[in-house]
Amino acid sequence: MAAPCAVDLQPVGGELVDLLLPNVRRFLATEVDGSAIDEASHIPLSVRKGFAELGLFGMTVPEEFGGAGFSLWDACRVIAEIARVDRSVGIMLGLHAGLGSRGLVEWGSPEFQAVWLPRIAVGECITAFGATEAGAGSDLMAIRTTGRLVDANSLRIDGEKSYVTNGGFANLFTLLVRTPGIGGDRGHTLVAIPADTPGISIGKEEHKLGIRGSSTVTVAFEDVVVPMSNVLGRPGEGMELAYRLLAWGRTLMSAGCAGAAQGALDATVQYVGERKQFGQAIGNFTATRAHVAWMAARTYAMRALIHETADIQAHGNSIEIASAVAKVFCSEGAFEAFDRAIQLHGAVGFLESTGVARGLRDCRITRIFEGANDVLLLRIGAATLGVRRVLDVSCVPALREASTRVVAFDELLHREMGDLRKRLGVMAVRRQLVLQRVARAEICVRAAAAALSQASDTEMDIGLARHVATTLIEEGTQWLAELGRAERDEATATELSSMIYGA
Amino acid sequence: MVALEEEARRVTLATLAEIAQTSADTIRGGQRLREDLGMDSLQSLELLSTIGEALKIDLDIEEAMGIQTVDDACAFVTRKYKEQKADGSAVRG
Repeated sequence: MAAPCAVDLQPVGGELVDLLLPNVRRFLATEVDGSAIDEASHIPLSVRKGFAELGLFGMTVPEEFGGAGFSLWDACRVIAEIARVDRSVGIMLGLHAGLGSRGLVEWGSPEFQAVWLPRIAVGECITAFGATEAGAGSDLMAIRTTGRLVDANSLRIDGEKSYVTNGGFANLFTLLVRTPGIGGDRGHTLVAIPADTPGISIGKEEHKLGIRGSSTVTVAFEDVVVPMSNVLGRPGEGMELAYRLLAWGRTLMSAGCAGAAQGALDATVQYVGERKQFGQAIGNFTATRAHVAWMAARTYAMRALIHETADIQAHGNSIEIASAVAKVFCSEGAFEAFDRAIQLHGAVGFLESTGVARGLRDCRITRIFEGANDVLLLRIGAATLGVRRVLDVSCVPALREASTRVVAFDELLHREMGDLRKRLGVMAVRRQLVLQRVARAEICVRAAAAALSQASDTEMDIGLARHVATTLIEEGTQWLAELGRAERDEATATELSSMIYGA
Repeated sequence: MVALEEEARRVTLATLAEIAQTSADTIRGGQRLREDLGMDSLQSLELLSTIGEALKIDLDIEEAMGIQTVDDACAFVTRKYKEQKADGSAVRG
């Protein structure tokens, strides 16, 4: 059995990223030891230096500032490649290229960009992002860190941000703060703050279940004064910009999930080819093949969804919902891929030495951060109810039947949505199980359509796209059936939880 | 009819002020729910569901998703309130 199996999609991307990726792979193979990083809970400086030499910290910085000017898709390809080997390192770079520096690239003032983007491009400056606070996780409206005008030219920041990735060594923070009275009574503002500004204190590193090599700290800001030129975008519009940043970041994080799932598949294909039981390699058993086919097909659909999301962004359209769909699908798929990988490794998979146990631990957080999946499902559900979108499916003749099934399911889903709209109206927003099940069905059909629409006419593409589309439509059909039971399940949950909480 | 319009607007602004944690006096018609008041799509729908409950009217989710400003919300609620008062339709279950 050949190992490792490769199901990489190679859709059209920038030429530069095609040149870069082999160097990235070489560096990862020789210089990045995921197990050692996990054990030490630290990414060696040599890895950061190597990334800087490869130009990775500047990959999304515009060329005029010395960066590579990668598109979102190009950056996703790099992050996926890194996460395939180690998630901590992937998270470090993904956060930097996404939430950490994207605001500066998109909305930084010319004078601020001129100082900081060249430093980011050469890896002298690593960035972090702070939105979450002790009392504000998914509810960003609850943030309390505040920026007040000191005079017409400067802003004073006070507050504390939690779970700041890269915070232990970042040189520059992008922060979402409340700015009452600036740009509106309820205004929020994005502001970039150099880490050496007086008044900043960095907490100790958190001890985590996974991605232990990545830095996660609390950062306190007390009487931190920065010039107004550090404000990203217009004062008072920070919440809107934060949503856009989060969508960009979620797409990169989804790419990390796809890369990690590929890593789980790589390890599994190798192991099931070598491990012999009952006189043959366990990879020959149909039950094993079913797991491997599932992992390969899901990974294929993940990459297709991410590519589609990046394509929507490249055409200047909002990816708020598309990125949420990709994030939920990819984070859950990667976790399950590692769960299956451990199962196929048997007892040895439970040992840290195989790396698949670490992969499972590393994946767990991706269902929580950059938008908890539970909340993203509500947003996806509400959007599915409120806005009809168009799906592309495959033109490949061998996938016509699968495409027909996807289109038929999409019609069924939208008939159901029509009924729900009539029955519930805006009151649907209070029916969380309804919204989540709608979202689940929507994610299934979007992922199935993405896989089909991006499949080439190769045997591998056709096989993977057909398999994943078929299973996703079956799952979507089950979610629609669950939708009919939502009212009963909501009533049961309310009744039982009332007793449990009161006990 | 003027009384209906005033009531719809009063309830809309009061609910908006409560959800956005601000004073109804400071809310202006041209303010955008998301950019200026920091409300995401779910919070906007929550706002309209609360208004619908207070006024005992049905509000369509498709139309609700298109609302961007305070004036949009007031106009939408007022129109639905007048329509449903006129034909005596009830709130959906």
